[in-house]
Amino acid sequence: MNYMPGTASLIQDIDKKHLVLLRDGRTLIGYLRSIDQFANLVLHQTVERIHVGKKYGDIPRGIFVVRGENVVLLGEIDLEKESDTPLQQVSIEEILEEQRVEQQAKQESEKLKVQALKERGLSIPRADTLDEY
Amino acid sequence: MFRYQSLEDCPLDEEDEAFQTLGEEDEDIDQFNDDTFGAGAIDDDWQVAHERLAELEERPATAGEQADGAVSDEMDLLGDHEENLAERLSKLVIDNELEDPAIMQAVHTQPLVQTGGLNPSIWDGPAVLRRIRGPLLTQEVPSVSVLEYALPQRPPQAREEERDLSERALPRRSSSPVIGSPPVRAVPIGTPPKQPTVPNFNQQILCPKPVHIRAPIQQRYPSPYSERMSPNQLCNVTNSSLLGHPFPPSVTPVLTHLQRAQLLGGAQAGRMSPSQFARVSGLVSSPLASMNSKLIPGRVGQMISPASGFRAFFGAPPTQQHSPCPGSHLQNLRPQMFRPDTTHLHPQHRRLLHQRQQQNRNQHRNLNGSTGDRAGHRSSHQEQQRKDPYANLMLQREKDWVSKIQMMQLQSTDPYLDDFYYQNYFQKLEKLSAAEEMHGDGPKKERTKLITPQVAKLEHAYKPVQFEGSLGKLTVSSVNNPRKMIDAVVTLRSEDDETKEKQVRDKRRQTLFTIEKMYSLLLDVEDYERRYLLSLEGERLALMEERKQKICDMFDNLRGKTPSQERLSDDHFVQIMCIRKGKRLVARILPFLSTEQAADIVMATARNLPFLIKKDAQDEVLPCLLRPFSLVLYHLPLGTVTNLLQQLGNLPQSATAPAPANLHLTAVLQNKFGLSLLYLILSRGEELQCSDTNTELMQDNQWTELMFMATRELLRIPQTALAKPVSTPSNLVSLFSRYVDRQNLNVLETKLQLVQGIR
Repeated sequence: MNYMPGTASLIQDIDKKHLVLLRDGRTLIGYLRSIDQFANLVLHQTVERIHVGKKYGDIPRGIFVVRGENVVLLGEIDLEKESDTPLQQVSIEEILEEQRVEQQAKQESEKLKVQALKERGLSIPRADTLDEY
Repeated sequence: MFRYQSLEDCPLDEEDEAFQTLGEEDEDIDQFNDDTFGAGAIDDDWQVAHERLAELEERPATAGEQADGAVSDEMDLLGDHEENLAERLSKLVIDNELEDPAIMQAVHTQPLVQTGGLNPSIWDGPAVLRRIRGPLLTQEVPSVSVLEYALPQRPPQAREEERDLSERALPRRSSSPVIGSPPVRAVPIGTPPKQPTVPNFNQQILCPKPVHIRAPIQQRYPSPYSERMSPNQLCNVTNSSLLGHPFPPSVTPVLTHLQRAQLLGGAQAGRMSPSQFARVSGLVSSPLASMNSKLIPGRVGQMISPASGFRAFFGAPPTQQHSPCPGSHLQNLRPQMFRPDTTHLHPQHRRLLHQRQQQNRNQHRNLNGSTGDRAGHRSSHQEQQRKDPYANLMLQREKDWVSKIQMMQLQSTDPYLDDFYYQNYFQKLEKLSAAEEMHGDGPKKERTKLITPQVAKLEHAYKPVQFEGSLGKLTVSSVNNPRKMIDAVVTLRSEDDETKEKQVRDKRRQTLFTIEKMYSLLLDVEDYERRYLLSLEGERLALMEERKQKICDMFDNLRGKTPSQERLSDDHFVQIMCIRKGKRLVARILPFLSTEQAADIVMATARNLPFLIKKDAQDEVLPCLLRPFSLVLYHLPLGTVTNLLQQLGNLPQSATAPAPANLHLTAVLQNKFGLSLLYLILSRGEELQCSDTNTELMQDNQWTELMFMATRELLRIPQTALAKPVSTPSNLVSLFSRYVDRQNLNVLETKLQLVQGIR
C-alpha cells in the first residue's frame, strides 16, 4: 500500500511497542495491536506509567482501547534503549504515594498563587473551565 | 423451534420468491453501504461470493452421504473429513476477495449455517446421533472436550431436552439482520454427518469420565472458547475445571489459553463484529442454548477463517494457514497450546499462567503422559515461531481496508482546490529535484508520489429523509454526505452596505479592505493560467476576456479609479503603497498589467518615492518591487524612461536653473531602493540611446539634461550618505564618462566601486 509521502501511517506501527500520551495526561505503554481510520487504538499488555521526578512506576492495565481523539502523542519505543534510562523504577504503591504528594504540593502552590493574585485584584481562569472549549 | 421448522420445511418455490424480494432489498442495502462507506469500499458483491461458497457446500454434502455407509473405519472417516474440511477452508479463504472486514466476517461466518457438512447434522437429532454413536461406542474411543466442562450442570442422560434446546437455538438464519443475505438453502434433515466432530460431541455427553483422550479431536474445541465465549462463561469453565474435575491432560492447555484470554480482557470480544453478535446471541433465548449456538458457529467460523482466529491467537505463521493439508494445520497448533510463549506477558499474568501450568502438569502426569511427550517433541518447533504470538492480530486485509479508507479521504476531483498546500509543496519539491537534475549531480532520486485513484465526479444529490409532519430532519452521514456541523446561512453583503460602512470607517481600514479585494482578484487572475489549460477550446476565449477584465479591475482598484473620475490622484495609490501588504501586492500585480498600466504605476511610484521611502523605513519591503520594475522598464520606450527619470528627479520642467539642492533626488539616492531604481533607469536609458540612433533631438536633449542633473547630484552627495544599491548595472561607468570630465569620473567611479566593494 502506498502511503502519502511525507506522512506516517499507523499501520506501519502495528505490533510495535508504543508510548501513548493521552489528553488527560496519562502515559500508556503497550503494544499497538490494531488501529482504524480515526486512530482509535488497541494497546496490548499495556502499563500506565507514572513519572514523578526521577522515579516511575508501572501499573498494569492489560488491554487498553483508546478513542482516537484522546491521543495527544504516540511514539514507538526503542526496545534496545528502553532499559537504558536514568529513571528509577519503584513499586506501584510508592509511585502512587509520590504522585499524591506531588499533586498535593501542586494544588497548594496553585492555591497560593490564586490567593496572591486575588489580593492584587486579579484572577486567572480556572483550568477546568477552559477545558470545555 | 417454530422458526426452525418453518424455514426448514419451506418449499423451494416459496424460497425463490423470498429470494426475489430480498434481492430488491439488497439493492437498497447495497446503495446504503455505498453511501456509508463510499462506492469503493465494498467492491465485491457478497452475493457472488456467497453463491460460490454455497456451491462448495453442495459437493461435500453428497460425498458425505456416500461415506455414511462405510463408517466401519472411523479413523479413515476422520481423516477424510478433516481433509475435506481443510480443503474447503482453504478454498474459502483463498476465493474470498471481499474487502470490507465486516462483510468479510459475515461471509466467513455464513458458511457455518449453510455448510451442510458441518451444522445441519449437528442439529439433526437423535436419528443421526444414534447412527454415529454406534461405532464410536464400540470402539471405546470416547473423548472429552471442554464443552462438557462448560456445561457441567447438564445431566448426561437428558438427550431429549438437549435436542429441543439445540433445535430452538439453531439460528438457521434466513436473512442476516445486518447485511440482509438471502436465506440459505438448507441441507434436508437427516443428512448423514459429514463431520466426525459431531459424534464426539455427543460422545462426551454420554461418557463424562474419559478413558482415553484423542488429542487431535480435542484441539478443535479450544478456539471457539477462547474466541467466542463471554468472560463469564470463561470463568465458569476455568473455575469448574480447576476446582472440581480431574482434568484431562489435553484440555489443560486450552484452559491456560482461556485464562490468558480472560485475563487480557476481551480482545476476542473486540474481534466479533456487531453483526455476529446480532446473529449469534440475538436469536437465541435460553442461556444453555445460546451457549451451544455460540460454540458451534464459533468453532466453525474459526475454522473457516483460520487466518483471523487461529493465527492471531496461537501465533502460527500465516503461510501455514493456507496449506491444504489439515494435519499440518492442527499440528502447528498443538505444541503452542502446550507451551504458550509467555515472555511477552505481564509479570502478573505470567505468574498466574505459570501456576496453572504447574497444576495442569501434575494432573497431566497422573493421567496420561503420551500426549505430553508428543508436545515436548514439538517444542523446538514452537521456538522457531515468532516471538510475539499476538502479532498480526490485525490482518493484512484489515490493514489494507483501513488504509484504503484513509486514501479514499484523499480522493478529490479538484486536488488543487481541496489540497492546495500539499499540491504546492510537491510542486516545489519537483522543481527542486528538477533543478538538481539540471546540475547533473548524483543519480536521479525517485520520489514516492501519492497517486490517488481518480474518481469521476459523482453527482450525488442527497435528500435527507423526512417524514410528513415531523419536526427536523433525519441526518444520515456518510462519506459522500458528511454530517453538517454548522448549517450557517451565508449572506453576502452588498456593495452598498460596504460603501456606507466605509464612510464611517477610517481611511486606513478602507485601504486595507481594498488591498484584500485586490488580493482575491489577483488570486483569481493567477489561477486563470491553470484554468486555461484545463478548459476546452471553446471556453478559452471567454476565459481570456474574463481575465482581461479582472486585470483591469485590479488596476482601477490600485489607482482608485472610479468611472466619474477623470483626473487620477496619487493619493489612493500612495495609501496602498504605505502598507506592507500593499507593496507586495503591487509587486505581484505588475507583471499582469499592460505596459501602459504598469508604466503608470512605476511613474506614480517614482513621483512619490521620497514619501514612500519615509514610510518604508520600518518595513523595508520596497526592494521587492525592483524586479518587476526592471521588467517593466525593459518594455518602455525612451520617452517614457525620460519621463520616469524626470519624475524621479521631481523636476517640473527641464531643469535649466541649477537647483541649490534637489531634496527629492537626494532622498532617493540615500535609499537602497531609490538608488537601485535610479541606476536601473539610467542604465536602461543609456542602452536605448546607444541602440537607437534616430532618437528625436528633443528627447535626446532632455535625456542629456537629466543625466547631467543626476550625475551632479551623485557627485554632490557625500559618500557616506549614499545607499548601497541592490545591484549596479555594468554599463554605468561608460555612461557617466560621456557626461562628466575625467576628474569627476574618477570620483564617481571610486564612489560607486567603493559602494560595490562594501556590498
